[in-house]
Amino acid sequence: MSSEMDNFIGLSAVLTGFSHNLLAPPLDPVDIKAEYLPFFKRKIAQESGDPNLAGQIFQKYSALHAQGLTPQQIGAAMLDPSNGEDFVLACRKLIFMWYSGAWPTLIPAAGSTPASTVSDMISAKSYTASLVWQVMQSHPMGDSNYRYGYWAKAPAPLSDYTGN
Amino acid sequence: MTIEPLCSAAQRKYIARALLCSLSFFSCAQALMAQDKPAIAPPPLPVLTPQIPLEISVTGSKPTLASLQYDFDVFSWQSFIALNWPANSDGTPNTNLTIGQAPNDPVVWQSYRESRSIFLAGGATPAPWGEDTPPPPVCRNIDAGHLPPGTLRLTQVGKTPNVLDESGEPFKTGPLIDQNGQYTRFSIMTNQSMFNYIVTNKLYSKAGQQAFNADANFPSSNATSQQLGSIMIKTAWVKMGGKYDPAKFYTTYALVYDNPEEEPGVKPSCVLEQVGLVGFHIGHKTQDEPQWVWSTFEHVDNVPTKGHASTLAAYNFFDPHCKNCKVNDPPPRPWNPGNRYTKPSQVERIIPITAEAQQLNESYHQALAAAVPDSVWLNYELVSTQWPTDAKSKTDPTGVPAPSFLANATLESYIQGQVKQTSSSCMACHNNAASTTGNPSDFTYLLQRAQ
Repeated sequence: MSSEMDNFIGLSAVLTGFSHNLLAPPLDPVDIKAEYLPFFKRKIAQESGDPNLAGQIFQKYSALHAQGLTPQQIGAAMLDPSNGEDFVLACRKLIFMWYSGAWPTLIPAAGSTPASTVSDMISAKSYTASLVWQVMQSHPMGDSNYRYGYWAKAPAPLSDYTGN
Repeated sequence: MTIEPLCSAAQRKYIARALLCSLSFFSCAQALMAQDKPAIAPPPLPVLTPQIPLEISVTGSKPTLASLQYDFDVFSWQSFIALNWPANSDGTPNTNLTIGQAPNDPVVWQSYRESRSIFLAGGATPAPWGEDTPPPPVCRNIDAGHLPPGTLRLTQVGKTPNVLDESGEPFKTGPLIDQNGQYTRFSIMTNQSMFNYIVTNKLYSKAGQQAFNADANFPSSNATSQQLGSIMIKTAWVKMGGKYDPAKFYTTYALVYDNPEEEPGVKPSCVLEQVGLVGFHIGHKTQDEPQWVWSTFEHVDNVPTKGHASTLAAYNFFDPHCKNCKVNDPPPRPWNPGNRYTKPSQVERIIPITAEAQQLNESYHQALAAAVPDSVWLNYELVSTQWPTDAKSKTDPTGVPAPSFLANATLESYIQGQVKQTSSSCMACHNNAASTTGNPSDFTYLLQRAQ
């Protein structure tokens, strides 16, 4: 795993609350991270107009991590408004991407129409790999790895799904 | 998976290389790269043995997805070699011979038990292991006392027994038609461990399954106790003759049976035919892989790969000269294996065989040729092996399979691809298997055949 990927996964673990191993298992045939990282970098550069923004985010995370801060402290520092609007928005979109498998677009309020968010699914794989299903202790609609009759049994504890 | 002992030769080499790391950065990088490579590169000539491996042998000190895929693929080839070893009359491997010798004699897996002879009408108790079972009544015109050794009973025209029935339609499955316009035939067989579990627990009948009323848990192979666990074999066959030269196939004889119960218009018939092997699945439950290990092999002439130029003048299931043939599409209904001729299927492989698997195939072909220069087994290749990357997952009972999708062009011809819940994945599909009571049946649909 590259240093950039290390930082991407480390930051993602902090911001989503999922364990590093769950986001990037040592044996990872699904490998959604390999899809997310280049997608995230491209979209952030496009939307902010700053090709270096993703790199700055990873550098900031890396520096905070090196200080031995807790995940909560790192998360708070990454989302601090003093980082700048684009920086914080990119971090929030990173959370959205992992949880929904989609990329959000913010539409500002116009006249009497309130602000809203629309999103586009990144891929079929991102739909099934999105973390929201794990938080629900459930499975994507149309894609279940559970065995026949699972609905009659209690799901595994939430900690088994999040790794924390 | 079994990690090699600490003091294995491979580990000694690794330790030596690690010591080099203290000398310079470059020697460190070179040493680790050199260490990684042997985990993927196959050995020059694998040893051919009649021993069915009981567990995967992990060769890398730092296993990766790629290195483990290689280890599982080796496990598949070792299993293929052992199962296709010439057999004694009791089904044990004939250790006086090697694979490829006595090519007309039965091989080890042919002593396994056909599913047709386990799940009998009325839930009757199957005959004991080793006892021959009578063929379907329509075959009575054939002298059962003089059948060639190892004669199969090919009663299926699909991987599932009801392929001609509409219940198979949602999965877009269907019969596979060979280049002679004949239906490909299939069989499913279980080894003694699996058969014994079914019989001991009376899972061969609906009544028995109701009394059992629990999740099935077939025996696993265990490398520590040296116990062979459950193995399923699924095979696909074409009739020899016409465009199929018996010299290029592993052949045997089979009572080829057309089942009138599958679709109106099918007339019962039974013919003794010489058939050639075109597809070979192995499902093997091991201690470390409770989701089973799924190995699949094909005849090398079966199909071209989509997007790649055809390299052969003729394929078993593809006509390079046909410009308007619909690819990977089941034949139009009505289906009837008794028809004299049906337009051949046009099949392409959707997911290419990886370069690593091709390299391993070449390695095993060299070993097979070294043992028997004209071995018929040179005509068979591993497509891939599907295995659980996280067998103990608490949230995914499939164990997160790798690769995510796997299909045999003869057994999953029309459901190849990479779309979840639609394309073929051995473990994702078999994870849904249940017995007639609705209890999970441990990755086999066979228990649903109970009456």
